[in-house]
Amino acid sequence: MSQAAAPKKAQGSSTAYAARSTSRRRWRISLASRQAAFGVAILLPTLAILAIFRFLPMIEAFYLSLTQYDLVHPPKFIGLANFVSLLQDPLFLKSARVSLTYVLFSVVPVLPLSLGLAVLFNRSLWIKNVLRSAIFMPVVMPAVVMAVVWTFMYQQDGVINTILGWLGIDPIAWLRSSASALWAVILIGIWRATPYYMVIFLAGLQAIPADYYDAAEIDGAGKWASFWHITLPLLKPTMLLVIVMNVIVAMKVFAVPLIMTGGGPADATRVLPLFIYQTAFEFFDMGRAAAMSVFLFVGVMLFSFIQVRMFTRGDEQR
Amino acid sequence: MTGPAESAVSSHTTRRAAPRTPPRGWVRQAIRRRGNIAAFCVLLAVACIMLLPFYWMFSSSLRTMENMFSLPIQWIPDPVNWRSYVLAWQAQDFTRYFLNSGFVAVAITLSNLLLCSLAGYSLTKFHFRGQGVMFILILSTMMLPLEVTMVPLFLIIKELDWANSYQGLIVPFLVDGFGVFLMRQYMLSIPKDLIDSARIDGASELRIFWMIVLPLCKPALVALAVFTFREAWDMYIWPLIIITRDSLRTLPLGISLFMSSYGTSWDQLMAIAVLGTLPMILLFFFLQRAFIQGIAATGLKE
Repeated sequence: MSQAAAPKKAQGSSTAYAARSTSRRRWRISLASRQAAFGVAILLPTLAILAIFRFLPMIEAFYLSLTQYDLVHPPKFIGLANFVSLLQDPLFLKSARVSLTYVLFSVVPVLPLSLGLAVLFNRSLWIKNVLRSAIFMPVVMPAVVMAVVWTFMYQQDGVINTILGWLGIDPIAWLRSSASALWAVILIGIWRATPYYMVIFLAGLQAIPADYYDAAEIDGAGKWASFWHITLPLLKPTMLLVIVMNVIVAMKVFAVPLIMTGGGPADATRVLPLFIYQTAFEFFDMGRAAAMSVFLFVGVMLFSFIQVRMFTRGDEQR
Repeated sequence: MTGPAESAVSSHTTRRAAPRTPPRGWVRQAIRRRGNIAAFCVLLAVACIMLLPFYWMFSSSLRTMENMFSLPIQWIPDPVNWRSYVLAWQAQDFTRYFLNSGFVAVAITLSNLLLCSLAGYSLTKFHFRGQGVMFILILSTMMLPLEVTMVPLFLIIKELDWANSYQGLIVPFLVDGFGVFLMRQYMLSIPKDLIDSARIDGASELRIFWMIVLPLCKPALVALAVFTFREAWDMYIWPLIIITRDSLRTLPLGISLFMSSYGTSWDQLMAIAVLGTLPMILLFFFLQRAFIQGIAATGLKE
């Protein structure tokens, strides 16, 4: 780029100038292509790894879903039979329903909770950083540890029932009852996700220029008015991202239900990833498990798509 | 909260006169202070809820089994029982599980640092055909959960004969779409002139990357390292699928196995839970900013 200005200064016979200019251009082109080659070369390892370990399995999942495969006999092509039988399988339908319930109730409360906490943190408070670190702590706990610790806390004589007792609430059979087990698992999801998304919202809030609020205050807008008309609209991209991420994370939940309940009692907590795992690695029905994966994949895509549409439609109207 | 009262008092003309400074009476300050106190109390209560499992995990690891479910509930362990840590550690080969988890997480982190920053560099400072498509392909892997691809991925690993091996645990995660995205976003801010002038000075491309670009990316690299390490330390479903040999078990596998075989020895279970969380807590305390930045970065938009 910086050599481009040089030829203009070159004086002398026109033929000499032309010769030098072409040689210079050729040199520059070869340099540019050499640089591009370097650029491609350093991208190749990433592309290769993602191709082999992400895209290839994705394609293979679609193929496998059309076969019957038990790891012993070679895969047998059976068309859409897996999908047909899944849609008639009450266990699968129940599992899909459990997953949807989990996603809905672990995503919806997290949104106002994490945004609310972020708004509270977005002012100057005494020992703010200490409080923020404390609230952030659940993100630090590994999922498996979380499952073990909460199982202990959910015991009949455990700490949660004790605290509920102070409030005059009768002990709940958390993990032992099919009515409450899923809610127990959802509660952990909320506990873990809220601080995570709080951090993202906080970053979003801090990106809003303070001038906007000053201007609104001058115009006599109250706290709520500026929250509704400045904060929320400007946070829309962040919110969209939080919802999409949160839905994907919620659809993947696995370790907590597996360790805490193994999917029970009475299949109440058998989320889709857990059912896929059990079908593939306990019953060795790879084709059926792949078909379930395809459903999960379609679910993730559909959810993300609907959310993006919902949020962008608002923009079109404005 | 304060708006209507204030605007009713201050007339339109006075606000015109001093548009830059909104009225700030002592009433407003008092209200604001009260709001701060309320916010503080709410946050304190939330912090207690968030920390309760941590406190309960730690205090229960020190409680004797007789006092585990005593009535009234024992908030401070008495007598203190340190033996649970020793017993739990000896019950299974936790030293090995710890080393395995550490090795796998460090290997994945280092490789992500290198490959993601190379990819980010390639995507921001070079131009070649298909660059945009490649970036979108890399980004799209962020929408592709492992739970969707785990069955065929397992078959591929089995085909490679990598089940029950460190390669099997590490290689599929050597690079990650989010990491590439993070490094790319950060590298957009590095001026191209800097790289061009190094080229004119005759520095080789690799040298420019290593000596100029990487040092400039330090904040992003630290954030990426912490983020990746946390994810790798947390990994459960993948090792569960491909590891059956005890000597290759990672810590989460060890803990869940311990849970299923010693399900009622809560003191020992909580001791292992404390030890499994400790590395993350230490990492968080020393690299708090990076920890939070790594997560805040997942909220970056294009």
